[in-house]
Amino acid sequence: MEERRRIVIDPITRLEGHGKIDIILDPAGQVERAYFQVPELRGFEKFAEGRPAEEMPQITSRICGVCPTAHHMASTKALDDLYRVTPPPAARKIRELVYSTFMVEDHALHFYFLGGPDFVVGPQAPAAERNVLGVIARVGVETGKRVIAMRRRLRELIALVGGKAVHPVFGLPGGVARGISAEEQAEFIRAADDAVEFGRFTLDLFHSVVLANPTYVDLIVSDAFTHRTHYMGLVDDRNRLNFYDGMVRVVGPDAVERARFGAREYLEYVAEHVEPWSYVKFCYLKQVGWKGFTDGADSGVYCVAPLARLNVSDGVATPLAQAAYEEFFATLGGRPVHHTLANHWARVVELLYAAERMRELGGDPEIISPDIRTLPTETPTEGMGVVEAPRGTLFHHYETDERGVIRRANLIVATQNNSARIAMSVEKAAKGLLSGHEISDGLLNMVEMAFRAYDPCHGCATHSLPGSMPLLVRVRSHEGEVVATLRRDTDGAVHRGGAAA
Amino acid sequence: MSAAIRILCLGNDLLADDALGRAAADHLAGAAGPDVEVLYAPSAGFALLDHVTGMGQHLVLIDAIHTGAADPGTIHEFREVDLLAPAGSSPHYVGLLEVLELARALDLGAPDDVTVLAVETADEITVGGAMHPLVRSAIPRVCARALAIVENRRHAPAGRS
Repeated sequence: MEERRRIVIDPITRLEGHGKIDIILDPAGQVERAYFQVPELRGFEKFAEGRPAEEMPQITSRICGVCPTAHHMASTKALDDLYRVTPPPAARKIRELVYSTFMVEDHALHFYFLGGPDFVVGPQAPAAERNVLGVIARVGVETGKRVIAMRRRLRELIALVGGKAVHPVFGLPGGVARGISAEEQAEFIRAADDAVEFGRFTLDLFHSVVLANPTYVDLIVSDAFTHRTHYMGLVDDRNRLNFYDGMVRVVGPDAVERARFGAREYLEYVAEHVEPWSYVKFCYLKQVGWKGFTDGADSGVYCVAPLARLNVSDGVATPLAQAAYEEFFATLGGRPVHHTLANHWARVVELLYAAERMRELGGDPEIISPDIRTLPTETPTEGMGVVEAPRGTLFHHYETDERGVIRRANLIVATQNNSARIAMSVEKAAKGLLSGHEISDGLLNMVEMAFRAYDPCHGCATHSLPGSMPLLVRVRSHEGEVVATLRRDTDGAVHRGGAAA
Repeated sequence: MSAAIRILCLGNDLLADDALGRAAADHLAGAAGPDVEVLYAPSAGFALLDHVTGMGQHLVLIDAIHTGAADPGTIHEFREVDLLAPAGSSPHYVGLLEVLELARALDLGAPDDVTVLAVETADEITVGGAMHPLVRSAIPRVCARALAIVENRRHAPAGRS
């Protein structure tokens, strides 16, 4: 009898059904397909229609509770393009300064508290220790306080210029709403000096805690967490890492450049594939084509986020981060690195770059220039903007009428860019751990590790209660009938059940 | 000196029923007394840290929840002690409990008495969506319950009750 079974790993969050993993078994009980359901907010396009384009930096930043600064910046750049206006140098620098500050903060939080349980505490540690408290136990209370204090200080600086820390409001077409005073510049410089020192400290910690442990290194380079795909990320005019501006560069699995394009051309390069079993749209490289969930130069699957950004970059523009970049590739066998878990290390390299860039821009005499706005004069029609969000390349695209009222809006967010490769990673981890109809307890953690390295964004899965609800695995027949369950309770206890549990 | 009791209302007012937090904060404005801070925050994940630190002993949280196991507008009430012990299911889903644990581990002035009032939603992912009538009708009830908890805490002995 032809029968498929479906397993759902569902971290029951505040928004049940989002960010869950579905695993479908074939009749023999082997993994046929596994995928990660990325939450997609509904109705954004409709909501945007009829609104003045100038509202978009505020609206798009408020949709997402995770990386509002990235949306704000991508949207502001789309407005520059919409009105065909170039911000004065000081405005451009202020934007990048704020953006670099944001990247330091976001990467630090991710490394210590989101990725930390996997590598600082360790994948083999008991589940009950693999959380933020486990991280604090390993790195010490003083380091924990240092991370939190650094974060607070950076957020205060973002709020100072951005207007609000959570949802900045300073980006305008052609510039920014507010300049930086000499006193504020001094504060940025002091904070940036500390951020650079913090970046060095974090890299040292990565060495002593992760790289000094052969088990971790073996895991990073293991085949279970490796995919040879294309990579995408922004680079500057010398093909160096950049978060705020530049050209989108795509390299193949051999690190050879396959495409280089500006935001306006993104639709010529990025297409979306739809599968009947998922509402997730899988981005792929249009010119290579969709060949399924498969590795290789012939497959249009690509990857974004820290590892991808280092893979597309010929170097990094700041000295400490450049040294870290060189060590990264020397240690992991040269460029490109295909190991998904290396994202955590790449994130530390990027943290250091963001801190150094913050210091450079903070110290730039031009940053306190009052010339911060070029007034738009052109009639708007269409605008596209792109930035590197912490989680990868982010595109904003608006079409308007002649008054600048939105007719159509389209966003491609980082996690969409990564969705095909995330699905492949989840599937590979599941295949390695699932045998017959037996669900391994280790499956939960290893499958989660596979997608966590990408830091997939659950913008709408806000303020969830992690660990506060059980984790559920459901085995379903293809008719949807529950034939077995596995539930992990908040105390880590695992309960197995039969049908219709 | 911060107030002894905080009512923290969470949600995103652009997302249909998730606007509940904002509406509850508006409803509570001026009703809670001078010893109570009423805050609204659209924050998520680690950003919640800013709202549960440097504060008094008691926190009442009003939020939206989608369990799918109750009718929209149903009010679920949890004590933090009922929910404790993060299992590390996914550190990505950092939320209230881990933030509170972190704040305590780092001595950041976290509350030691936390009650969650979560209102069951019908839709919390449609941008610009309208609030479900049953969710809207729960606003006065959830606020009244929050104020009743506040009143109880005013007379509670120190420490976790």
